[in-house]
Amino acid sequence: MLSPARTEAFDDLDRLSSASLDRWWARKLKRVARLGFDELPFYRERFAAAGFHPTQFRTLDDLHAIPVSKKEDLLAAVQNSGSKLPGIKSYTAGPDARMTVSLSSGTSGTTFVMHTRRWRQLQGYSSSRAHWWAGLRPGTPLIMSAPAWHAYASIQPSIAMHFNNPCVVVSGTFLPRFADRIVDAILAFRPRFLTMFLPMVFSTMAAARRDGTSADRLFAGVETLVVTGAPITPGMRSHLQDITRVKRVAEIAGSSENLLAVDCIHAQGLHVVPDTCYAEVLDRTTGRPVPDGQRGSVVHSSVIPAGSLYLRYDGGDAGVIDRSPCPCGLPSPRIKLFGRWEDCFTIGDNTLLPYDVQFALETEVPELRGAALVITREGLANGILRLLLAEPGRSAASLLEEARAGLARRFEVPVEISAVRDLPLRFKGVPPILSEREAASAA
Amino acid sequence: MLSSRNLAECRFYRERMGADARPIPWGLAELEAFAAIDSSDPFAGRVRRGLAPKVSLQLEATADPSIWIALDPPELDRWAGVVERMWKRWGTVPGEAIAFFDYGSSPLVLLASSGYVGYLRRGAAERLGLTAICNDGVAAMAGRMVSIVEALEPSMLIVRRDLARPFSLALEAAGTKLADRVRWVAISEVEGCTNRREADQLSARLGVTVWRILRSDAAFLIAGECAGCRAFHLDSAYFAETLSTGHVAITTRFAEACPAVRFDIGLARLINGGCALEPRAQRVEC
Repeated sequence: MLSPARTEAFDDLDRLSSASLDRWWARKLKRVARLGFDELPFYRERFAAAGFHPTQFRTLDDLHAIPVSKKEDLLAAVQNSGSKLPGIKSYTAGPDARMTVSLSSGTSGTTFVMHTRRWRQLQGYSSSRAHWWAGLRPGTPLIMSAPAWHAYASIQPSIAMHFNNPCVVVSGTFLPRFADRIVDAILAFRPRFLTMFLPMVFSTMAAARRDGTSADRLFAGVETLVVTGAPITPGMRSHLQDITRVKRVAEIAGSSENLLAVDCIHAQGLHVVPDTCYAEVLDRTTGRPVPDGQRGSVVHSSVIPAGSLYLRYDGGDAGVIDRSPCPCGLPSPRIKLFGRWEDCFTIGDNTLLPYDVQFALETEVPELRGAALVITREGLANGILRLLLAEPGRSAASLLEEARAGLARRFEVPVEISAVRDLPLRFKGVPPILSEREAASAA
Repeated sequence: MLSSRNLAECRFYRERMGADARPIPWGLAELEAFAAIDSSDPFAGRVRRGLAPKVSLQLEATADPSIWIALDPPELDRWAGVVERMWKRWGTVPGEAIAFFDYGSSPLVLLASSGYVGYLRRGAAERLGLTAICNDGVAAMAGRMVSIVEALEPSMLIVRRDLARPFSLALEAAGTKLADRVRWVAISEVEGCTNRREADQLSARLGVTVWRILRSDAAFLIAGECAGCRAFHLDSAYFAETLSTGHVAITTRFAEACPAVRFDIGLARLINGGCALEPRAQRVEC
């Protein structure tokens, strides 16, 4: 049984002190830095250009000598090498053609992530830890919630086998039109633990409603609902708890490039999963670590010496770090992602992410917790924070006026809010910033 | 293969035992009709009493009611062996890559790698020393499939039939030719097979040999077209028989947790005795 205050340790790594964990991390990072230098041209060249050699690596502070990489660097390496793949594929387990490859897509381009059998073993164990923290326990059926093209699919089998969970594979893919199939899976197999991309929670509930199935019935027996794919605000978490009646809604933040963090029962930030990665938050201008609680770029380093290796990789996420002790007892620091810097915008004197707008909205008008919204490009171009809100429900007019006034007061900019019937839902949810025309395409 | 006594542990079969102590041949319609009577059993009466299978797959071919098939780990491995041998007949070389343009939930994808489904010891790609990559099976991802072809240079492609056209359009738009880089493309339907004329047209358009796959997930059936005779060669994991109706029924030898006995694949011609490429194979033309 879970203690009400402390996270039950997955293994001895969870029992280390923070200082011991830092020493453990330093040893692991030294090893992967050495591996990068010895075997991977991409890192050897970057280390040489920065005057860094892995023998210099003693403590975590030495990590700062390793240059930060971004997706653009990987794509440039592809271009320059003439090879189709950047030289970040590690063969520490020996040459292994029997890999799976997943994709990391984004606005700047698609890169490919190599998963060797060794990577799957190590990452699978680490991800089992993450899911243990989130509440997964042996025995419950595990509904496979990612298509095979995604990195998560490469670790789900390992997680299922670690906990001896039966695997339930839902047909189709994770688009709203397949939500009725997820409903069928939940009703047929009654999982106690459920992982879903955030937008699919809403699509699944809508599909259940169409079928005459209440949320109570759909989620009966589900003890933990894990949402991933988008950062959730406190209001969104409580909204999810309200509408699903699931006691614990946990958040997992992860990326194809080996970032992994999970919140504990206290839900005050997501603990970095130590045997997946080490995380830093850096000032966007200076590249130096920011103080705890200050927003910066989340940069992570994989500690898994196999498969594609990411050292000091900036995946474009904005976040904060908190190294203070957590009441749950886990030694790893907590991070919180707020979204992607590419969605950051300036209006008036405010530099904001869509998360900030969502958070402000739910703070000003709690009834609007969990509302799907879009910020329009046209509004931003004219110095107006113009929001389109989907289905705000009854009493919408007065709520929207209350929200408008509250946001205008808070951000000191003109605010417009319009209710719309629907917003375009894509794989990762409703895109946070769209033109009016793009937003209208869902109608 | 299960005895009739063991089959009687499955409600679906118990209720359709013939006078010869064998199940009456059945198809998806019979399975759906059974499932409609008892919606509390996701397996439509086909899982043996008391078993709790490790892997359950939702059939894509049936929607309302939703029907599931189930396997235990050794069966999953044997099914992956069927896929391995099918690819091997078409030709693969260790170190090459195989790419999928299909849903990750398709058995053709799942059986490729232990990285795709739990409890599979070695997937078909792992057995053959291949790297596997799966693109999501929606038409909007056709451009990304072209990127996969260009970047990873797979030698073999598995493509859902409904994605063949968007994929070929995306290839043409990108000016990417498959002819010099891809050895074969295999095209699959959710249920049944693509007709030969359509496959030949696709082959002409792509400039690559296109093989057809005969598939029925309810019976764990996966069979590939033969390069020599162009009939579907049945793996030794299956036993086929001709029914008096002119249909062909398939029994899957490895399926024990969720038996597939006398599954009617419809009107087809069963050719006992193989062709020059595989003299002992049972073959089906449909």
